[in-house]
Amino acid sequence: MELFLKSLMLGFASGGIYSLVAVSYVIIYKATRIFAFSQAGMLIIGAYVMWQCLIVWSLPIWLSILISLAIGAAIALIIERTCTRPLIGQPILAPIVVTLGIMLLFRGIGLLFWHGEVEGYGASFLPLGAWKIGFMSLPKIQAYGFIVCMVVIALLISFYKYTRTGLGMRVVHEDHLVAQNLGINVKRIFQFSWIFSCMVAVIAGMLLGNIQGVGLDLDANGLVAIAAVLFGGMESFGGAVIAGLAIGIIQIFVIQYLGALMPGEITMLVPFVFLLLILIIKPYGLFGLVRIERL
Amino acid sequence: MAVDIRNVTKKREQRYSYGLTLLRDCIEKDRVLPRDEDIFKKTILKVEDITINFGGLNALTDVNLELRDGELLAIIGPNGAGKTTLLNVISGFYRPQQGDVYFQDKKITHYSSHRIAEMGICRTFQNIALYTGLSVIDNIIAGRHPHIRYNFLIGMLYFPWARREEARQRAISEDIVDFLEMEHVRNTTVGTLAYGLRKRAELGRALALEPRVLLLDEPMAGMNLDEKEDIARFIIDIHEFLSIPIVMIEHDMGVVMDIADRIAVLDFGLKIGDGTPEEIRKNPKVVSAYLGEE
Amino acid sequence: MTINVDRPCGTFDRNYYQAMEIFRTPLRKFLMIAFIVVMYILGFIADDYILSLLIVFCAFSVGMTGLQIITGYAGQISLGHAAFMGVGMYTVATFQAHLGFNFWMALPLAGLFPMIIGMVFGIPAIRIKGLYLAFASLAAHFVIVYVISNWRSVTNGTDGMYLHRPETLLGIDFMIDKYYYLLVLTITIIMIYFAKNLTRTRLGRAFVAVRDNDIAAEVMGINIAHTKILAFGIGCFYAGIAGALGGGYYEYVNIEWFTLTDSIWYLGFLVVGGLGSIFGAIAGAVVWKSLDELSTLMTPVTEALMGGMAFYASAAFTLIFYSLIVIVVLVLEPRGINHRWQIMKRSYRLHPFPY
Repeated sequence: MELFLKSLMLGFASGGIYSLVAVSYVIIYKATRIFAFSQAGMLIIGAYVMWQCLIVWSLPIWLSILISLAIGAAIALIIERTCTRPLIGQPILAPIVVTLGIMLLFRGIGLLFWHGEVEGYGASFLPLGAWKIGFMSLPKIQAYGFIVCMVVIALLISFYKYTRTGLGMRVVHEDHLVAQNLGINVKRIFQFSWIFSCMVAVIAGMLLGNIQGVGLDLDANGLVAIAAVLFGGMESFGGAVIAGLAIGIIQIFVIQYLGALMPGEITMLVPFVFLLLILIIKPYGLFGLVRIERL
Repeated sequence: MAVDIRNVTKKREQRYSYGLTLLRDCIEKDRVLPRDEDIFKKTILKVEDITINFGGLNALTDVNLELRDGELLAIIGPNGAGKTTLLNVISGFYRPQQGDVYFQDKKITHYSSHRIAEMGICRTFQNIALYTGLSVIDNIIAGRHPHIRYNFLIGMLYFPWARREEARQRAISEDIVDFLEMEHVRNTTVGTLAYGLRKRAELGRALALEPRVLLLDEPMAGMNLDEKEDIARFIIDIHEFLSIPIVMIEHDMGVVMDIADRIAVLDFGLKIGDGTPEEIRKNPKVVSAYLGEE
Repeated sequence: MTINVDRPCGTFDRNYYQAMEIFRTPLRKFLMIAFIVVMYILGFIADDYILSLLIVFCAFSVGMTGLQIITGYAGQISLGHAAFMGVGMYTVATFQAHLGFNFWMALPLAGLFPMIIGMVFGIPAIRIKGLYLAFASLAAHFVIVYVISNWRSVTNGTDGMYLHRPETLLGIDFMIDKYYYLLVLTITIIMIYFAKNLTRTRLGRAFVAVRDNDIAAEVMGINIAHTKILAFGIGCFYAGIAGALGGGYYEYVNIEWFTLTDSIWYLGFLVVGGLGSIFGAIAGAVVWKSLDELSTLMTPVTEALMGGMAFYASAAFTLIFYSLIVIVVLVLEPRGINHRWQIMKRSYRLHPFPY
């Protein structure tokens, strides 16, 4: 029972972050129809920039977060302007390869500036320690992390729902041409989407850095989140959140209960086997749109 | 030139001294129904009580249609009437919720699209669906796919018989290119061709499949008068020379009335009329739904 | 009027066989033969360093041709190609280590094993395409790497395995790099010739049909499930053979060579080379492996630039440099080197006139 509850808790904690990363994929995919693998690399950049500000330069925490977000936004603008805008209308392979290239570029940058060493924020970001609830302990990092994830997602969804720009973004999600004809600046919306997405990825990177340590392997989490995006159905924020939590919980449970039966490291195997199952059983996910093909 | 009127075949051969003869030999070789005076009475394709809906939208409701051998059937109807859906059902791309399709008295409703195509139900598409990366001649040879008789290993090793087979297929395809008067663009990538030529290339690809039934989805849409006349001439030539039945969706009433043997009218997924052009012109339901009140 | 610029002026096909030839003019035939002869002569005069480069070029050309068949011709995205190359290497190694096969017996198996695995992972391609397929192949990569690195009794886990080159054949000792290169070159030429034949015959046209318009292909009589799975199978067969050739050179194989990064470079440099042509595949492989060599040669320079952090600098340089090349080429010239080459050939043919 204790193992079950502990696994559930850990699952929720990592699932929250998967949700956040999945949402960052979904933002760009919905707006531009590009699946930005680069967001996996963004996790590394976010975590390292935060570490640089917070630990190396010893800046106050709010300033560090602001700087990280600003750098995330700047990178988003550069990517959008130089890499993905010329690719509009290109065959599907081009954006896939370019965003994968950007992912590896970020990995290279992380290696160049921070030498790929695993660092930690120590106590200076989220508080350490744990709460005791009955017979089990709840680590504060993971609890706070989960709360931050949910708050960020809630903020995003309410932005889409209640603001004028959000409305424009939802129109762009439906159809680029229609949106353009309605007088919406589609390019601006693309920029906004990239900025939001990269900021979300930066936040996810910080939280992951706090839990797993700041390092180059953070992009693996980004790849795991792909399974969540697919399970939720490429075009749905709600789906991404639910599926992210589900993937986190499934991953932890399989590792806890079946890990002993399987040799080696199965952290990456579980989500991807799950992804294959989804692709075979329900390729458009839980809440994805099934498009009727026409001739 | 003295032409023996009684010998129809000979007359045809003289008239079409160019193009399509190789293709006709392929089709004649395994024709199921005999070519005699009664061919018009044989039903070759039958659509029975087809109902299909997409999430509540009734695309087709209890549509019945018969295509007799050697006949040119036109399907008309306003946009959204379900004409293309009907063709998609026949070629196995959509599965109807109810009803069956019979081809030469064989039920083909559950067959996969490529098997239906292999049996000889070939079609063109409303929005051109060519293989854009291939040249015209390659598109047509790609259409020969089910009729090429070697497997991929033989192709990889390029044995002499594979080479001979390729040359044979190329001969048939060049024949079709000649017939469609596309010699000057045969090595051009279809993606760069003009609209009318692309439509023609698509017709060529459908012909390459050795059709027993040819389904044409708006072959003349968006063309000017000259191009329309060309296509109409091709359709009539194919129809007469290969003596295969043709189903044609077309909006141009002039062309339809001129070349069709029979016309079926669809409106909101229902068949509201079926008959010779004369009958259709007088059918009050059709007139009110489609041709407009006088 | 569209003018056909694929053929030089003055050469006309007099029969269908002529129209189907790979090299239609005597000049091109001569150039090709001359090129092959030069490649063989290089084997005798080159030193070990050049030989190692040439062997790697050859092996990766074969692998890249496989990916070209999957992605460039059949339009199916594969993000696990490096893993299939690894399966090929490991097949040779395991059959040699456990069953005592020699290289000649293991070589076809090194193609067939990845072929079967590739076809299994190609099954999702029947229902999905594009991006979804990229995910499926990503999953394939992780599953393969997991199995190889944890099936210790067979694959020796992450410690790697030794494999052996072929014994002497007809008195030729393949332990000498020179002769091994000649073997690799011969196999490469045969494989590329087969690939070229494949692409100009029935299945090759079906691949392109599925790539360009899979719905229409299905309705026009091409069994697309069959075609897609065969594309994966043949592509992975090539990857496996490439793996066997490369592994035979190093005589050692380790699963850590086959990372996701390599699979991404495979795809990236395929696009750099140019999609949809065998020449593009070879160009992509050669560019990729030349850059590899360049970054090795540059290590002292990067060390000097970066001071004490040489180890990271070199790896970081590779990552940044490659990804920038892939991104820049894709953004500026999405049709790759092959397209440039075609333009050059065309302007040479039409020389005094611009078009």
